[in-house]
Order: sequence, then C-alpha cells, then structure tokens
Amino acid sequence: MKKALTAAVLVSMLASLAVPAYAGEAAEKTTITFWHYMSEDKEGQFVNQAVEEFNSSQDEVFVEAQYLPREELMKQYTIGVVSGELPDVGMVDNPDHNSYASMGVFEDITDLYTGSDDQHFLEGSIGSCYYEGKLYGVPWGNNCLGLFYNVDMLEAAGVEVPTTWSELEAACEKLTTADCYGLAISAIGNEEGTFQYMPWLLSAGGSVEDLGSDASKASMTYLKGLIDKGFVNKECVSWTQADCEKQFASGQAAMMINGPWQFSGLAADAPDLKYAVAQVPKADDGDYASILGGENIGICTGANVEAAWKFISWITGKEKSADICKSIGRLSPRDDVDAEALYADDPNWQIFAEIMPNAQSRGPSPKWPELSQAVYTAQQEVFTGQKDVDTAMNDAAAAIAALG
Amino acid sequence: MKRNRNKQILGYCFILPAVIYMIALIGYPIVYNWIISFQDATALTLKDSNRAFVGLANFRAIFADKTFWGAMAHTFIYTIGCLVIQFALGFAFALFFAKKFSFSKPIRGFIVISWMLPVTVTALVFKFMLAQDSGIINTILMNLHIIKEPIGWLLKGNTAMFGLIMANSWVGIPFNMLLLTTGINNIPEDIYEAASIDGASKFQQFKNITVPLLKPTILSALVLGFVLTFKVFDLVYVMTGGGPVDATEVLSTYSYKLSFQLFKFGEGAACANVLFVCLLIVALIYLRTISADEEV
Amino acid sequence: MKTKKRMSNRKKNIICNIAAVIIACVFLFPLYWIVINSFKLDSEIFLRKPTLWPHTFTLQAYIDQLPNLKVTLKNSIIIALGSMAIALVLSVPAAYGLAKFKVKGTKIFILIFLITQMLPASLVLTPLFLTFSKMKLLNTYLAPILSTATISIPFTVLMLRPGFLSLPDELMEAAEIDGCSRLRAFFEIVIPIAKPTVITAACFSFVFAWNDLAYSMTFNTKDSMRPMTSAIYTFMNQYGTKWNSIMAYGVLLIIPSVVIFVTMQRHIVEGMTSGSVKG
Repeated sequence: MKKALTAAVLVSMLASLAVPAYAGEAAEKTTITFWHYMSEDKEGQFVNQAVEEFNSSQDEVFVEAQYLPREELMKQYTIGVVSGELPDVGMVDNPDHNSYASMGVFEDITDLYTGSDDQHFLEGSIGSCYYEGKLYGVPWGNNCLGLFYNVDMLEAAGVEVPTTWSELEAACEKLTTADCYGLAISAIGNEEGTFQYMPWLLSAGGSVEDLGSDASKASMTYLKGLIDKGFVNKECVSWTQADCEKQFASGQAAMMINGPWQFSGLAADAPDLKYAVAQVPKADDGDYASILGGENIGICTGANVEAAWKFISWITGKEKSADICKSIGRLSPRDDVDAEALYADDPNWQIFAEIMPNAQSRGPSPKWPELSQAVYTAQQEVFTGQKDVDTAMNDAAAAIAALG
Repeated sequence: MKRNRNKQILGYCFILPAVIYMIALIGYPIVYNWIISFQDATALTLKDSNRAFVGLANFRAIFADKTFWGAMAHTFIYTIGCLVIQFALGFAFALFFAKKFSFSKPIRGFIVISWMLPVTVTALVFKFMLAQDSGIINTILMNLHIIKEPIGWLLKGNTAMFGLIMANSWVGIPFNMLLLTTGINNIPEDIYEAASIDGASKFQQFKNITVPLLKPTILSALVLGFVLTFKVFDLVYVMTGGGPVDATEVLSTYSYKLSFQLFKFGEGAACANVLFVCLLIVALIYLRTISADEEV
Repeated sequence: MKTKKRMSNRKKNIICNIAAVIIACVFLFPLYWIVINSFKLDSEIFLRKPTLWPHTFTLQAYIDQLPNLKVTLKNSIIIALGSMAIALVLSVPAAYGLAKFKVKGTKIFILIFLITQMLPASLVLTPLFLTFSKMKLLNTYLAPILSTATISIPFTVLMLRPGFLSLPDELMEAAEIDGCSRLRAFFEIVIPIAKPTVITAACFSFVFAWNDLAYSMTFNTKDSMRPMTSAIYTFMNQYGTKWNSIMAYGVLLIIPSVVIFVTMQRHIVEGMTSGSVKG
C-alpha cells in the first residue's frame, strides 16, 4: 500500500515536471508543421523569417517549418500518404501538384477558397492547383526562365544579345574560349532538366505530347549541336541549375539559362559581376517561349485544416506574397500585386515580369512525373551520345504514349 | 557432469545474444524479403498488414525489364573488372612489400588506409578527379600527351564503368595485398633457399613454389573479393547514381531505385533476391573451399 | 666478395625504398586531393585547369558548412557510438563463447556470422524499411544504430575469436580453482588481457557505422536526423560542382578513420585480415 502511494506520488511529480513544458505552448497555440524545399542557405532564411513573423503576429497557431530537399520531399509525400506521416501544410512543385493531389496527399480546399473573400490568384498560376475540378492548394510563388549574360564578356567579344537560335550559336562561337564556355544549361536527370529543356521545345513548336514530331526533334538537335561544338559543357548532364549559377558567377560561362531565384546567389557569389537578363532565344522561325516554374502550397490530408488555412491565407495574402516572393526570387502569383511597380528599380526583374505572363505551365497532369521522366531521359540519352536524336525522341514519345 | 552442463548453458548465454540479434536483423529480413517479393507491395499497400500475394508477378515484371538485365550484366562486368585489377595489383604489391627493405612494413601498412575510408568520400573524390574539365586525371593525361581532348569519364557508359572499377580497386587493392601477404609470410624461407641452390630462377620459384603454396589464400582472396564487389552499393550510388541513363546501374542500386524511388517494394525485393541467389552460390563455394582446406 | 654483396644489398634496399615511396605517393594521391581541395577558394575550384597546390589557402569551405555540421556531426557521432556499444556488448562475449566454451553448434554459429557478413545491405533494406516503418522507428537514431551494428557484429566476432582461442585454458581453470566464477573470470581476466583487440574491435565498429550511407540514408530522411554521409550526398546533388565544400565535408568524414588508423595501425591491419576471413 505504502509502496503504491509512493509510486503514485512519484508519478504525479514526474508528470507535473513533464507536462507544463508542453502545456505552455499547447494550451494557447495549436502547433502545425510546414514542409518546404526552399534550401536553408538561401531562400529558406526568408521562409523562416516569415514563419517567425506569423508566429509572433497572433497567438492561436504556431508553425514549425521544416526544410527537406525537393526530391526528398516528394518521396516523403509518397510514403507519407500511406504511413500517415504528413505535415499540416506542404509545398509542392507546381507540375507535380496534380500527381500528388491524385494520390491523396492534399485536402480538397475548394469550399474554403470559394468561401473566402480573397480570391486574387492569376488564372495561369492557380490552374495547376486544380485536379478534376477541385482545388487542392494555392500558388506560393512563380518563376520562369530567361537568358542571363555577362555584360563585359559580350562587350569584349563584340556580341549583341542573341535573340534567335542562330544568333545564340554565333554568339557562343565568339564567346567560347579556352577558359570559358558560351552557355551554361542544366540537363540533369530530374525535373530540373525537363524544366530547362521546355523553352527550347516550345519555341520550336514541339510539345511534350508530341516528342516524336520534327519540331520537337529540331530543338533537341539544336542543343546537341551546341554541346558537340563545345559551346556548352558536356557535364551539363549532371549539373543542377544551382551548378549553372556557380559556373556563370565564376566566369566559366558567358551566358546561362536560369531564373530570378538566382539573383541572391549571384549577388553573394560574384558581387562585382555585371550581368543582365533577356528572353531565352527563340527558334529562327518560332516565338519566344518560357516555362512557368514555381511552387504551390496546400493543406495535407488529415491536417488541422483550420489552423493550416489560417497560415496559408496569411502567407499567400497580398502583403506577404509580394514581400516574400521578392526576397526569394519569385514573382507573386497574385493579380493584385503590381509587379511592374514593385520592380520599377530593377531592370533584370522587369524582364522576368515581362516574360512571366507568356510562360507556359507544365501539365497539369496527374502523370506529370512520368512524362517528365521521359523528357529528361531522352535529353540525357542524346547529350551523352547513347542514342541519336531520332531514336531517343521516338522512344520517349512511345513511353509517353504507353502512359495513356 | 553438472558442471559441464552449466558450462554449456553459460556458453550459450555468451553466444546467443549476438546470434539472435543477427537472426532478427538479417535473417528475418531475408525471409521477409522473399515474402515481399511475392506480394503486391507498393507505396499504396505499405501500411496493409495482409498485402495480396501476386505469385511471380514481381519477378516477371523485372525479368521483362531491359534495365534489370542491363543491371545484371553491369554487375558482372564490374565485379570481374574489379577482381582482375585489384587481385593483380594486390598480388604485385604483396610480392613487392614482402621483400625486406627498411620502409616495406610502414608503407604497406599505410596504404591500407584506403580500405578504412568512408566509401562515400572515396566515390566523391574519384568523381571529382574524373570530372571532364576540373578533373586532375584529364589534366595529367593531357600533359603527358596521352589524350588530346578531355574525356568526360562519367558521362559515357563505358568510361563511367571504368571509373567505378578504378575507384573500387583503390579500396580493394590493399585488402587483397594484406590477405596475400599473410599467405606469403607463411611460406617457409628455406624452401626458396633450397630452390635457389638448385638453380631455380626467380620466375620458376614464383611459379613452382609461391603460387601452389598460396593456392588456398588466392582462392579465398578471389571469392571474398567477388562477394565484396558484387554487393557494391554506396560507391555506384554516389559516383554515378547508376547513370548516365542506367549505363552503370547494378543490381543493388537498381533494387534500391525500385524500392525507394519508384516505391515498387515488391519488385525491389525481387531484384534484391536475385542478387542474393548469386551471392549465395558464390558464398557456398567459398565455405566449401575453406572447410575443405581447414577445419572451421 | 662479401662487401660487394653488402653493397648490392644496400643498393637494392635504396631502390626498393624509393619505389615504395613512389607507389605510396601515387596510391595515396586521392587522399591528398581531398585535403588540398578543401582549402581552395570557389574561384580556384571553378578554374578549368585544376591546381596541384592552392594559390590561397582558405577555410571558407569549412566555414560555409558550419551551421549544417552542428546537426549532422552530432548525428554521426550518436549513431556511430550507439552502434559501437551494441556491437561490443554482443560480439565480445560471443567471440569468447565461440572460442572457449565447446558448445554444440559452434560450427553453425560461426557459419551464420560468416554468411551474414557477406550479405549486402540492399538485400535487407526493403524489409527493414517496412518493419521499421511499422514500428515507427524511421527518422530515429535507433534505426541506423540497430542496422549498422549488423555490419560490425560478424566482423568483430570473427576478428576477436582467434585472440581468445590463443588464451591458455589454464588461465581460466586457475581462476576457477581460486573460486572465481567463469563469468567473473571473463570480466576480470579475459577482458583485461584482450584489451588491445577489444579496442581494435571498438574502432572497427565505430568506423563501420560512421562510414555507412545505405542504412542511414534510407531510414533517416529528415534533415535533422541525417548523419554526415547522407548530408554530403544531398549536398552534392544540389551543388555538384562546389568541390571545395564537398571535399571539406570529406575531410571531416575521414578524420576518425585516419586518426584511429594512424594511432593503432598495427592492430587494425591484423584485425582486418582475421575479421574478414574466418575465425
């Protein structure tokens, strides 16, 4: 009896020791988790700042932000949908949103959104959040691709900013030296490689649905030509876009294809570099094309919907969206944020603001990850010389046809 | 009698925890892996405790898959390539360092360090050295005028495989060297002395004394080398990731890809089981040779 | 005649030594390359022609990694120490038992260790992942600790057994006569005598767990739970050309192996052969 009493007292003492530490936060605030892939050494800092600001701005919801590399995050969703280990709020690359929505990673928020008084997202941006007529998230930030060029190098070589493929090739020829490549691109075997290839494909008049067409093949042949002539480093098949930025910043490439999220990296890596931005050159008989990149955020299945929505609508609201997008190198996906006014003092940003409205989205398709795999595999096969353009593109087209 | 029984029990108390641990964490998973390979195990059925049995469907799927047969071929090419290089050089090193000169022991000991390093780091440094532009290997070869143009070693299938073999041999050479050194040291000196009095040349001594007496050591070095190389994962995964476009995919990385990138756990398990069967055959041969050679 | 022979012996000695030094230099070049490149500036790393010696020495690559390292270094240490503890607690008695108690089935137990040692991680990754996922062990220290211990247990058992075999039986018998139980004899006599090999076994276990990539990468996917090996891999996927940073990480990763190796080279080299071959 006495023993039991002592035990009871001990247990309650232990409990009293343990509980308040939690209760302090939990009693007043609901804690929710937020997974994102804004890398911690760069954009992630701004995400964390915004989250902190949100946490101290109100006393109902406490957000815990967690960074995972993009590929890893995608895996976690796939596993999490079954194991139940999903965050409350999750970020997703916009072409993949459909696929994860179809798997059941995200909650249907159609009613929440239509019931709210804030519906100011650009048509093209929020489009990727819809799957079978239902809304599974809202856009977080947009970006697109452009041509970055080293102003001094172009001047020294007497080269005008190229606007067409022929001009680009001619420019590369003059700019490529023993120490410097003309152009840096990323053709890595994942979504980034597909993303980078899209402007060329689209400008030639090709499409993912029709990779076997002459137009699609022409774009691949053109890029392969740049590599074979030594204007683009062969190692681009293992480069990420971050690697391209490093090459460009260190003067190893006179031009690169990249997006506005690299501005902060360039400022840090090469503060004295004089560079400017233009449209990705167009096919000689084609139009300018760019590709819409960016992220959406949604409420994950089984989450605390109310708290999650509170956070989402705050961070994608007019004020915060303009602010955070600028600091992480995105354009706001909202129609009530005036990009031209916001970036009036920055010509490079203005170019991207101009390119953006015409940037095409990838998908939306629940099969996008598979489609994308076919595209980047073909690109890798061609660039590494494993297959010729015809075979690789026909094989990719067949693989896509097989997906149905 | 009773004392003897107590001793037996105490003996089991010493031995069994480790045995049970290995059975729980290796033995059971192996059995479970066979079960999974007959099940419909994907991301969607991950939580299900009674997944549907699908017979040989997983095996049929991987056998119909070109990448799988590629991986099978690459695994053998890689293993045999590594074996030849690391055994030949390991043997050469062992013979050289068996000579008695002042630095022989310290230097022999020191080069063994490559075996202890994390394979991840080995893979990374070889990847770096084999890089096309910033790689030191291209620079050296070009300075020696052996090649004119820098080679994109890891960007093409054949050269990427060669790069992997090089990196793995770097780890395997000292290991082979040590095994063979032990064997060489066990050969009594006076046999050589007798032979040289009889007028046998160095090469004849090598052919007629060293090799025959080393036979058991050579055999275990080869088999062990085979097993250790055949199961390689980290090195390939980090250095090439199976690429460019599956050109260096081996069974272990392909199994990993099936399970943890495509979440086809059933097919991943089936692929791992093929690897298992190959290894088991070699392991059994090995165990037979060592138990024939000497009581275990 | 005699002096001539001595002369030629000395000459041979010198030639062999020079050859050995050259072999070592060529062979250990990758090690040099890891270290030297970790001290280069970004601008030098991105040069088309690699430099054999840095123009300017900088610790920048290390400083860049510091915030990241705080977490990953701690994780690596916890995992390696935990795995080492399990391996020692289980394998030292097992090796002793297999050497000194002539129990039935000794042969089979040794076989089990020999075979498990040859099996690849990829064989058990999928089932362990599914099991750990059910037991909610993913993204905990326990998952990599438990699984990496399976690498070192068979190795250390096989490595320790010959040492225990060579202990004279009289030692234990004398202890027993003195009224010391076999269990106490194990702790008070055997362990102290075998101390050097047990320490070697500890070093191997630590290094095996520290070096592991496959298990840690598969089971622990959250950033906060990653050890250094999988963190460097992730980093490489993001900045594949920042070789100075990658190599700086590499230097930190090889430190334990190098330190252990240099301080107890003889034991390690002996243990390596006996641990891999047979008991």
